[in-house]
Amino acid sequence: MNILVLIKQVPEIEKVRFDYEKGRLDRSSAGAIINPFDLNALEAAVQIKEKTGGSVTAISMGPMQAVDALRDALARGADKAILLSDERFAGADTLATAYTLASAIRKLGAFDLIICGEKTIDGDTGQVGPEVAELLGIPHVAYVEEIRQICSDKIVVGARMERNKYIIELRLPGLITVTKDLNNPRLPTLRDKLRAMRAEITVWSYKDLNEEDALQYFGLNGSPTRVIRVYTPAAEKRKSQVLSGTAPEVAQKIVQILRESGVLG
Amino acid sequence: MGDFSVNLENLISDLRRIVGDKWVVTQREFMEGYLRDETPDPVRPRAAEGLILVKPSSAEDVAGILKLANANKVPVFPVGGRTGLVGGSVPIKPGIILSLERMNKIEVDRENIMAVAEAGATLGDLIKAADEAGLFFPPHPGDEGAQIGGLIATNAGGSRAVKYGVMRNYIRGLEIVLPTGEILSLGGKLLKNNTGYDLMQLAIGCEGTLCVITKAVIRLFPKSKVMVTLVVPFNTRSDALKTVPEILRSGVMPLAIEYVQIREIEEAAKHLNERWPVQRGFAQLIMILDGASQEEMLLRCEEISEICESNSAMDIMLAETAEEQSRILRIRSNIYTALKPHMIDILDVTVPPSNLEKLMNEVDVIAAKYDVYLPAYGHAGDGNLHVHIMKEGVTDMRMADRIKSEIYKAAVALGGVITGEHGVGSLRIKDLGLVLSEKHIEIMESIKRIFDPNNILNPNKVLP
Repeated sequence: MNILVLIKQVPEIEKVRFDYEKGRLDRSSAGAIINPFDLNALEAAVQIKEKTGGSVTAISMGPMQAVDALRDALARGADKAILLSDERFAGADTLATAYTLASAIRKLGAFDLIICGEKTIDGDTGQVGPEVAELLGIPHVAYVEEIRQICSDKIVVGARMERNKYIIELRLPGLITVTKDLNNPRLPTLRDKLRAMRAEITVWSYKDLNEEDALQYFGLNGSPTRVIRVYTPAAEKRKSQVLSGTAPEVAQKIVQILRESGVLG
Repeated sequence: MGDFSVNLENLISDLRRIVGDKWVVTQREFMEGYLRDETPDPVRPRAAEGLILVKPSSAEDVAGILKLANANKVPVFPVGGRTGLVGGSVPIKPGIILSLERMNKIEVDRENIMAVAEAGATLGDLIKAADEAGLFFPPHPGDEGAQIGGLIATNAGGSRAVKYGVMRNYIRGLEIVLPTGEILSLGGKLLKNNTGYDLMQLAIGCEGTLCVITKAVIRLFPKSKVMVTLVVPFNTRSDALKTVPEILRSGVMPLAIEYVQIREIEEAAKHLNERWPVQRGFAQLIMILDGASQEEMLLRCEEISEICESNSAMDIMLAETAEEQSRILRIRSNIYTALKPHMIDILDVTVPPSNLEKLMNEVDVIAAKYDVYLPAYGHAGDGNLHVHIMKEGVTDMRMADRIKSEIYKAAVALGGVITGEHGVGSLRIKDLGLVLSEKHIEIMESIKRIFDPNNILNPNKVLP
């Protein structure tokens, strides 16, 4: 089975600082890692490969530093890694990102399954995976938390939507986006890590994608999204209050406070 | 209002004058959390009745409280984060519980690479303050809710002591208050100080029996640029443990080398609703390494890898992201909490590192003799072993005591001690004689009398 995993390099959220004045992440304050949901996607792909044979290709769009994330993907079981990097890809929103990824996937040729994380921890939109599927004209299921069955032409998955879990049979080739509940990503071995450090990473630019006269679909040009302003709600501190009186009186006061603060309608 | 002796009742108004009405608590229901520590329930001493909880805001407040208590011969029990495991902070007599939680300021001096922390600041606060100043507090001496005063008073150790040492190695200065009410400043922002007997070293590890620590100068280090955690599974304990001295000799000095067995570490993961990332082998070593760059780090990992492989390691797993590493540390740190409901006591015997395997084998012999489960894991790089006496198979407390004594004797026979990091507290007093000579204990008693002539400070702890 030929599986593609879409990954994004993101700032290490446990270390990254937020620049409150500029309203954005200070990316220089932390190292970069594979988006944690994408690790679940990669783990799922590697597990399927271990069962059915085949290969896992990790694809990422990003600046040249993203090769580190792809090396990590190789250490964790991907067989091949491709970085899509070009100044013309910069400033992409989810649509332009999906367009770029879909172009690369078309260039790669036949595949059976694409797996993505449900969303990234820095963008948090959850849109890129399904958009790639739409652009490629293949079926997709988001929020997969269970893979029940897989064979050459279909996959049966459990996907969580709100309170309900849907068991869905998906025709292949298709795309799924996965949640953290799907699996526990393995740690790489030191040997694989060292091997991945020396591995070749394929880098494709705009020209390599064979998309002639399509510049308007890439990067900032291809991004209808406009971010007007990003702001952070002020952090509220815990307010404590000691109430006295009989139990019914105190209960009444609590209800009143909750009403006034808008917690109770 | 609690039920107080007349002696204690008379102090309440004076205490209120010193710290303010709000900070003197006399109702039992508002001090529940201060009456116990993390010691397993079956062996934890019970708190006395008739206690007053007082929360000072300065060393002067503490001095005023201690003067008052000393004049009235009222016991005072200093408490920190109450994360101890030997009943050290449990108030076992009617008296005053002294919580320094309001004294929680931390200042980082980047020029001298030191922090000045008040006793009530937590370990979590210190780690954060150091980090924000671009510096690093290398050890991880226990629960992050533990307070600086308690960490110093118990000379806490923890897992990351291999490279830089335990709490004592970081303390450069202390402000202490004597039971008689004098405030002393010991040491300072100094790396060398040979001026007279070093009372500061006596205060460190005194378990709140000689003085109350109110402030500390703590050495920090430059932040490591890269940190990784290795998990190395082995088929046998022997293979895992003989790897440790070889790693230490190689010059690659990890921050931590922890030994765990698969059964307990999986239990801890299950307890947290997680999955331990390495499901292989009987025994595993967890190593934390720090360094200046990824390249340097991987070279050092390769060196360690060669040593592990020469000792039949099954694989070497590498965790690089902060999330993966903190998950490993979190699961490791929760072996105790996972086992606690089924536990009678947790021991922290310590032997010369090269004797750790012998000690563990002795523990196996003792477990077989009594037909009980004695899970053991520990800080392999320090020769510090946590053996748990579990309820399973233990019929009564006398049997638990006999098992403990045999483990203690085994450790001492191997050149070890009965406690490497938890301290003596209430629980280990009667076993002191296994390690310390009569003369040694006599000198300790004399020192206690000099500091605390009326025996008001944490009485019946450390010494009988």
